[in-house]
Amino acid sequence: MNNSQMIICLGREYGSGGHAIAKELAERLGIKLYDHNILDEIALEKGVDPMTLRKYDEQPHKLFLSRSAKGHHSSAEVNIAYMQFDYLKRRADTGESFLVVGRCAEGIFQGHPGMISIFILGDTRAKCRRIMELYHLTEQEALEKMKRHDNYRRRYHNNFCEDAWGDSRTYDICINSSLKGLDVTTDVLEAYIRARAKLQEEA
Amino acid sequence: MVAEILAVAIFFVMFFFIVTEKFPRHLVTLVCGAVVLVAVFGVCMRSPQAIFHTLNFHSIFTPEFWRVSGESAESSGGINWATILFIAGMMVMVEGMGISGFFRWLCLKLAKLVHYRPIPIFVVFMLMAAGLSMFIDSITVILFLAAVTVELCQLLKCNPVPMILSEIFCANLGGSATMCGDPPNIIIGTSLGYAFSDFVTNTGVIAGISLLFAVVYFYVCFRRELSMSEGQSTAADCPEPKTAITDGKQFVCSVLIFGVAVVLLITHASTGLTVAFIGVFVAVLTLIAQRRSALVLLKKVDYETLLFFTGLFVVVSGLEETGVLELIAEGISMICGTNAKLVIAVILWISAVASAFVDNIPFAATMIPVIKSLAAAQGMDLSVLAWTLSVGTDIGGSATPIGASANVVGISVASREGYPIGWGKYCRYAAPATLLVILISMVCIYARYL
Repeated sequence: MNNSQMIICLGREYGSGGHAIAKELAERLGIKLYDHNILDEIALEKGVDPMTLRKYDEQPHKLFLSRSAKGHHSSAEVNIAYMQFDYLKRRADTGESFLVVGRCAEGIFQGHPGMISIFILGDTRAKCRRIMELYHLTEQEALEKMKRHDNYRRRYHNNFCEDAWGDSRTYDICINSSLKGLDVTTDVLEAYIRARAKLQEEA
Repeated sequence: MVAEILAVAIFFVMFFFIVTEKFPRHLVTLVCGAVVLVAVFGVCMRSPQAIFHTLNFHSIFTPEFWRVSGESAESSGGINWATILFIAGMMVMVEGMGISGFFRWLCLKLAKLVHYRPIPIFVVFMLMAAGLSMFIDSITVILFLAAVTVELCQLLKCNPVPMILSEIFCANLGGSATMCGDPPNIIIGTSLGYAFSDFVTNTGVIAGISLLFAVVYFYVCFRRELSMSEGQSTAADCPEPKTAITDGKQFVCSVLIFGVAVVLLITHASTGLTVAFIGVFVAVLTLIAQRRSALVLLKKVDYETLLFFTGLFVVVSGLEETGVLELIAEGISMICGTNAKLVIAVILWISAVASAFVDNIPFAATMIPVIKSLAAAQGMDLSVLAWTLSVGTDIGGSATPIGASANVVGISVASREGYPIGWGKYCRYAAPATLLVILISMVCIYARYL
């Protein structure tokens, strides 16, 4: 690992704008963004159709409908998750700096000196409004969608990581994107990341 | 009454934690086993004899444990050390074979023999899965076979999922053919005193007939998909079988030891050598032959599975010693009356359905005392019930992705190579095949034994 390597792990609540912030941050920092595109890259490596992998992306496995044996798991969701974890570890081993959205990244890179973990949350009303606008849904539908996705993310994360999803103790910094909007949140996070990177280079 | 309730409660708690996988399953059975020893036998029953009987250490130091004269002896209940030693020994041997590159070599050799053509590979690999699983645990067979299948399919530009699904099914089917093919059979064989040849001439015949149907069934299911990839690529890129061999000397030794194990197993009824002896013997031979990797081999033994078995036997003994299993047997007797056909149907279908969703090892271990009581109460031939239980538990596990460990391993290998197999895809092909084979087995059992 080189001293300037940064692995930014960004967790987010559904509707908080975490993905948009991640995209903007990666662009400003000039580093690669890894989200569901990891599966496209894996599919390209393996010569398979990415769409067959995508439906299992960041999905929790079904407790009573899956089991493990000798280090193997019957759940496609679990196996696809491990494929992504392996891919990220391989990228990190090359010394590349990158930003990962979700995918238990802060758990995978726990203890890595270049790791910065972020969690973006939001007020329910603001998140709901955003989901309604983005997907043209009613308030009730948006609330249900938000609840469902956050539940999936929590279960997915907590299945692989020791620390709890959304718990402030799991992350270096937690920030509410509803308070000052996505742009200001991105500015704050950029400043924080640059400060951390400077400290790391000096160390 | 308290002892019975406690034994049942512990059994269900154990099953719950095995299914949920909150804790490692060997810890679950060991802790539950310890609770049975202390709370059920010690506190409720105040029976040091039950504890002594369940731990069953004394059996290891008897000559009959290693070699029997005349008829095979039944296990005296409690921890089935013969099963544990046999499985441990086979684990050492199989690890030795894996390190030497035997399994990969065999897969590549057979693929080369059929000129790397998808449909012949599909058929040959199904037969190989069944054949190897007769002597080696199906998890190991599928672990190697699925990996080579994916590798070859990528080179031959065909979808490996049909092949892997068929191989998993045939591996489970092959395992049902012999005493050492699947853990439930080892437990049934050692607990009830049946020999390798007893299994081959009974469950083996059923498995053989079923295999023919299974090959035809999977061929019909996948022929279109596989024929589309015929001739799409050349065999030039496929790896040579000899590249699989990591060490020529070790390879020859492991093949010879495997041959010795097969011969000893086939002849153990006439030689009197027990499966415990055979397991220990092949393990010692492997460790001597591969002394440089002996430590690695010993480290690779799946001790967690061995501990899982140990705890499991204690928990099942709790049910047996308290008489709970006799009550279950009486219940089945009451439902079925004296109708032997109904008893067989109940045992077969309950075993198959239960094994499709829960681990078939605890199920088989629990059902052995039940069929013993049933046979005694109904005046039925115990062996018929034993073959029924064996077929039901071994085949039933093929129906769902979680029914058997080989299914889990095969699905996992395929998924990690970019070919995820969900419940829908798995059950669409495997569940009808399981149903078909269970029906064939029922017809065979009725026709031959009743």
